[in-house]
Order: sequence, then C-alpha cells, then structure tokens
Amino acid sequence: MAADDGIEDEVFEDQHLNVLTSENHKNSTPSPTGYRGYKPPQEVLNLAESDGTLSETGQEVHKTILLGDSGVGKTSLLVKFDTGKFQQGNFAATVGIGFTNKVVTVDDCKVKLQIWDTAGQERFRSITHAYYRDAHALLLLYDVTNKTSFDNIRAWLTEIREYAKDDVVIMLIGNKCDCNSERLIRREDGDRLAREYNVAFMETSAKMGLNVDLAFMSIARELNYRQNGNYDNNRFRVQDYVREQTYAPSCTNCNV
Amino acid sequence: MSAEAETNDVEPGAAPESMLIISESSENLQNMSSSLDEIKKMQPDNQDENINNVDPDDYDDISCNTIATGDDYIKDNDWLGKSKHIFVLSSAGKPIYSRYGNEDKFASYFGVMQALVSFVQADNDSLKSIHVGNTKFVFLFKEPLILVSISKTGESVSQLTAQLNYVFNEIVSMLTLSRLSQIYQQRRNYDLRRLLAGVERLIDSLLDFSDSEPSFTLGAVKCLPLAASIRDTISSAIVQSCSKIKDLVFAILLANNNLITLVRMKKYYIHPADLHLIFNLVRASESLKSAESWTPLCLPRFDSGGFLYGHVSYLSEDCQACLLLLTVDREAFFTLSEAKQKIVEKLRRANCLEGINESLNVREETCAETGFPELRHYLYKCKSTAQFYQPGVGAPYMSDYGRLLTLYRRAHQRLHSTSRPLKLLYEKSSDEVLLAWDTKGFELYVVLEPSTDKSATIALIGKLLTWIKKQEDRLFHLNAPTF
Repeated sequence: MAADDGIEDEVFEDQHLNVLTSENHKNSTPSPTGYRGYKPPQEVLNLAESDGTLSETGQEVHKTILLGDSGVGKTSLLVKFDTGKFQQGNFAATVGIGFTNKVVTVDDCKVKLQIWDTAGQERFRSITHAYYRDAHALLLLYDVTNKTSFDNIRAWLTEIREYAKDDVVIMLIGNKCDCNSERLIRREDGDRLAREYNVAFMETSAKMGLNVDLAFMSIARELNYRQNGNYDNNRFRVQDYVREQTYAPSCTNCNV
Repeated sequence: MSAEAETNDVEPGAAPESMLIISESSENLQNMSSSLDEIKKMQPDNQDENINNVDPDDYDDISCNTIATGDDYIKDNDWLGKSKHIFVLSSAGKPIYSRYGNEDKFASYFGVMQALVSFVQADNDSLKSIHVGNTKFVFLFKEPLILVSISKTGESVSQLTAQLNYVFNEIVSMLTLSRLSQIYQQRRNYDLRRLLAGVERLIDSLLDFSDSEPSFTLGAVKCLPLAASIRDTISSAIVQSCSKIKDLVFAILLANNNLITLVRMKKYYIHPADLHLIFNLVRASESLKSAESWTPLCLPRFDSGGFLYGHVSYLSEDCQACLLLLTVDREAFFTLSEAKQKIVEKLRRANCLEGINESLNVREETCAETGFPELRHYLYKCKSTAQFYQPGVGAPYMSDYGRLLTLYRRAHQRLHSTSRPLKLLYEKSSDEVLLAWDTKGFELYVVLEPSTDKSATIALIGKLLTWIKKQEDRLFHLNAPTF
C-alpha cells in the first residue's frame, strides 16, 4: 500500500540504505560501509558538499540536529541558546521536528545554523531518520538524572552511524547537570562513553545556562573550520576544544 | 411556530458549498475514504513508498508491572470521586491509558473489562453499556482496542460513545489505523504505550476539551468572528502563496480554538471530527509556539490508512494564530516554510494580522449586550456548513458554564435520541427556560429567563434568527476556498 504511515524504523532502514547506496554510486562519494579513514579526493568532497542550501550571502547553512530520548531537555537547550530563556514548569513534548535558524559569529565569521529539534518519542523516529543524512552536526543528549536516557545513547549512536553521513560532527551532551542531588550518571561515565565512540562530550544545564552557548558555538566553530577546507587536520578538534573549554572554569557548579 | 417564517430564506450561516463534510452520524471508521491514495495517484511521479512488514520480534515490550495492586485505588476517595473515568486497553486486556492514576496500578480492572467485552462477544453480540444507579459503564470495541467510559455525568450512552470514538481517533491520528492493526496482528500482546509515549497528554487534553466545549457535542466548529473582507483576504493570501504547491491538501488557520479559514484541495473536504483533533493538537502542544514544526498526522475520517505531513507554525510573535499546511509529500517542509513566509508577509501588508488580533482581544458580546436581555445564552449550528456560534457567557452562568453545557447536552440528546427523536423541545424550570429546535437547516438551543412565556420565546427566536442572519458573514466562514 502506498499510504506510508512513516513509522516503521525497519522499513525505513531498507529503503534508506538503498537510496544511500544508489546515490553514492552516482556521486562517487565514499560508501558508508567503506573502510575507516578513507578519504576521497578534495574535488569529490567539494562536489558532494555543494548540494547544501546556499543562503543569500552564499554561505552554507549548517544543519544541526538535536537528538535523544523524550524529556532529556533538547528543546530547553535550544530555547535557552536561541532566546536566553529557560521555560520553567510544564514539559511540552516536541511535535515531530521543530526548525530554528540561528546565525552565530565564530572566528569573525558568520555561521548559519539551521537547528532541527526532534521529538524523542519512538513514533517520530522514522520522520527524524529522514533528516539524519542531511545533517552536518548532531547534538545527542541524555539526562544525567535519567539512567535509561543514558543507556539508550549506544542505540542512538548506532542509528546515527547507520543513517548519518560519516563525517558528521557529533557531540554527546549530559543535560540537567545542575540537578546534583538526583544525578545518576557521573560525568566520567559520559566522558568514557564519548571517548569510546570518539565523539565530543560536555555536560550542560539548560536551566542554569551552563555550557549551553559553548555546545552550539563549538559545533559552529568546527563546521566553519571544515567549510574552509581545514577538515583534514581537524578531525578531533571539537573534542580538544571542548575539553579545554569545559574542564577549566565553566563547570564549577557540577562538582563531580 | 411563527418563527418558521424567518427561515423561508436560507438559514443563517448556510453557504452554497462547505469546506467541511457534514455528517450527523456518530463515528464509523468503516465509512472512510481512501483519500490519500487518490491524491497520490494524481501524481504519477510520486514514488510509491512500500511498507515492509515489521518484524514483531524487533519490539521489546516495556516491562509492564502487571501485579495487581488495584487496591490502592479502590481505597482512594479522590480517584473514586471522579465523575468520569476513561480507560483504553488492548483487546488482549493490556492497559494503554487511564484518565486518572497510573494504569499499571489497576491492571486487574483492565482484565475485568476485557473479560466482560469478550464474554459478550463470544455470543456474537456486543456489550454497549451497563447501568448501575446513576453510573454508566459504556464500552466501545474498536478492533484492536477496547475503550471504556465510567461516568456519573448524566451524559447519554451515545454521547459517551462518541467521546470514546474521539479517543480512538486521537490514537489513530498518531499511528494510523493500518499501523495499529498491523502491530496487533503481529503481536497480540504488544504494549502500545511504547509507541504512544506523550499521547496520553493529548488524550487528557482531548477529554478536557470535549468536556468543556459544545463543539464536540454539536459536531461543528466555531469560527473566529471576522469581517468577511478580512477573512476573504486571508483566504486569498493563502491560495496565492500556495497555488503552485502540488500535493498540498489543506491549509488551516486557527486561533484560540476558533477557525479563521480553511483552504482545501478541490474535491477534498475535512470532517469536523478531524478538525477537532487538529484543534486539540494545537491546543495541547505548547512546543509548537517555540519553532516551526513538521509532523506526520493522520486524519482518521479523511484517511485512516496513512499520514499527512503538517507544517505547523504560529503566524508571528505578534499574532498568535496557528497555520497548518497539510500535504501528502513528506519532503515538502522547506517549500511550505517558504509559502508560510509569503502568507505572513501578505497578511501583514493587508493589515490582517491586526484584524485577527482585534477579534482575539475582544470578548464575545453576551446576549444582553446585543439587545436580547431575556435571552441568557444560545447555541446556533448551521448544519450544511457544520459551523456553530455561541455568544459570550453572561450571568448566571459565568462561574458555572458547566451547568449550561449539561443543559445543552441533555437537550441535544433529546433531539437526537435514536428511539424517539424530537423536533422541538420546550422546558420550563424554576431556573430557566430551555428551548431546543431541530430544523432541516439548523439546530438551535436557547436558554432564557425563567419568566419568559411561550409566545415571548417564539417571538424572541424569530428576532434572534434575523440577527444571526444579518451577522452571518462575520460569524461564519461562508466561502469554501480551494487551491
């Protein structure tokens, strides 16, 4: 039946992988199943990148997705970054995907972030999968007071490896780090997991505004580097940058 | 009845064509069209999206605490004192939803409900309701779910059944009926709550909404009062901005649970019950205010077999009307996002945003303020357009609108009773006079001062209909614009 109800993850996998492989043949970009570390020639990379949407100023719009279980604070983090406000009170589940455009300045460059805030619930999973492959960066959140949300991170990372581009920038974020009394996940646990998967990591508090700007700004910085062709030697730049920035003064509140 | 003379003309609010499907009957999903397939077939280039079967083993059931600890609730006076309970369970008896309390805590009750339904079903019969004193137990079996309402509210069985149908449709709107059936075909014991995470809030909201509003009972929607010229400008701004977008099925603009306009694809109509679900989604989803959203949404009466995709956004910071652009194209977000920008620009230039805000900020006039001091309140439903109007609530119902709604529901039930329907109902009590009138074109429910006698009532109704007729292009959406 043609009326796709758009939810079956498994279905989507099949379709999507087919789409991916056939497209890849066309563009001769690296296969997602290709061996680790393979890098195609720069001109091919450029070709592959050039289908990004161009803004009026000719700048690329960087697509950034917020992922993670329902209720970990994805929307709160984004709203705090976008408006500086923290929405007290009721939890309002995101419906489908929310889109926010934000222009930030890093290293004297304007970087356009198009941020996709996804609903964490499982029934929205396949509509969000459809957006993974266009993403340049992913912020993957868990809630430090919710063990399940942390345990699910491995599943999320598996999905990301499956659907997203190989070179997508990934940042693991432990949110709600202001809630020390209810904390169940130590910072070391998050850090260890991040190292295991080779992704950047930080703890944030959307409520206190802790590391919120840093999370988005370091993503923007990394994307900007890559856009300017500094991709090769900056493979782990985001991780290093984040470590420098977070371990020092900014996180004195989350004394772990 | 002398007021009949007033209705020689077309009844107020009637229009040559309606954007809403008119239906009197209570829900029946079996009657549904397969509109989505039709629309998709119109574009040969639309890729078929095949659905592979889901392997049920890929789902892990949420560990479900089925230990019966129902005693906690049976001793809880607060829980017992609720005037209406609503439960949803799978046909295998697995808890899915309870209006109050944690459904895991009374898994044993769900077992009893399931047993009752299946016991009667075994005789090829179906259990509709059980009456105990002033409590009604109403059952609705919609494969693969069982819905139960336990009510002391005085609502009739058919009204309670209609509400359960809404709950079922709310679930379908999140999953589609095909998906729902498929899940249970593959695994009868599936714990649906995993897929319905967050939907309980929508159902809570739907129940509050339908309990606090006459629109569900009437099967109609209320429009935001607007000068016809403003409403037309808004509609044509939407038509112009979206005319080149194929696959766009409906554009709906609403504010504060009132419809502003609805533009539709030719040949396709939206059912008021589907529109109520859309109103509820917007009403219950605070998060829609923070960003432009993109979401799958199934409209069960339109097509329960698949999703439409909705671009949902508020017009602007300074105008809290919500625009939904519903399409069959799951890739259309950015096209629709652009169209939305165009619409807002056009509306801003034409001062329509102000027009909407003005209407939103003005409290609806009460009957007394419009020159009908003997009239306390009324509901007027135009049948052919499935729209209704009610004036502002004045004394003595300001603090007790619920009692007024109860009066209306009871009158509605008397008019639409299956065994003995009435055309006209006149009731006089020490508190008020109630008149309910069902004609070919409209339904009218009027509440008057208790001192009003019959002939005065009839004269008043004549005047009221004339007044509504004069105001009809402001109170109702008379056009049915298409893309």
